[in-house]
Amino acid sequence: MREVIETAAGRTCSLGALYTTLDRLEAKGLVETQMSAPTQERGGRAKRMVRVTGNGTLAAREFYESVVRISVGTAWGRAPRDAA
Amino acid sequence: MKREGVVSGAGWRCIKTAAGLLAPLEREVVLGDLAEADRGALRGLIDVLGLAARRQIAFWTSWRPWAASLGLALPASLYLMFWSVAAGDAAGSLVGEPSNLRLLWLCLSRLLLLSCWSWTTGYTVSAVSRRTLWASLLACCVPCLDCLSKWPGHGLSGLELLIFLVPGLGGAWCGRQQLRLGLSCAIFLMAIAMLAPIMAGTGGWMYGCWLLWPGGYLLTKAIRRPALISKSH
Repeated sequence: MREVIETAAGRTCSLGALYTTLDRLEAKGLVETQMSAPTQERGGRAKRMVRVTGNGTLAAREFYESVVRISVGTAWGRAPRDAA
Repeated sequence: MKREGVVSGAGWRCIKTAAGLLAPLEREVVLGDLAEADRGALRGLIDVLGLAARRQIAFWTSWRPWAASLGLALPASLYLMFWSVAAGDAAGSLVGEPSNLRLLWLCLSRLLLLSCWSWTTGYTVSAVSRRTLWASLLACCVPCLDCLSKWPGHGLSGLELLIFLVPGLGGAWCGRQQLRLGLSCAIFLMAIAMLAPIMAGTGGWMYGCWLLWPGGYLLTKAIRRPALISKSH
């Protein structure tokens, strides 16, 4: 997950930022986490698996649409006619 | 695939030591993530320390660490130091006159009060905010060290000030282990705590009243979850 974020954002993502964000999202019911079975790649340690909930998908979609809407006509967004 | 050399070096040992600051379950996950990502010891160490710092900061957004450290550990240490000296003096007088029953009673009662107050305070400090016990210990140690540096006596006499630490640390350990108290035990400790303002004399009764809350906390906790002394996991 961390690698995906870093690749997509083009910047480093600290473990603390990732874990605390996940905790907040879980507290809001937007993601669910559970422990996986220990694996050898991880030195016999379990992994925290994350799954986006239905509410999480809805919230992410709303957020994305809000960003797109609010960016229309800005220097970094699409021109109003393209958006329409 | 993970390279074995990275996870067995001195850097990895540093990371594992730093991970001790995290909760056990999270520690395992974090160490597993670092072993899998294998980004080097320094980056791993910074990550672990960063996460531990964020966790500590998150604790301090609650009232509990403030109440435990500044609201109880700090003022109680001053009060208990006073009682440690009083109990030490009574014990010293008793050594001089071992057959004096009045001195024996004075010594035993002071030691009993000191032990109960100190244990109750230590337990409450630990139970109210287990994860920030280090800060409560610091809040307790600062006035102790300050008083110790100004202590007029020589040699071991300064240790009189710190008698309260023995039952206090015992109480803190029990609170950390989440040892549950029975109702009768909590009532007894609350009753003893109520003696604090009476015993404090004219000058410190308000101070003694302030220190009633650990006894009240124990009682409330025992009423909410009535149980004989047992360990909850």
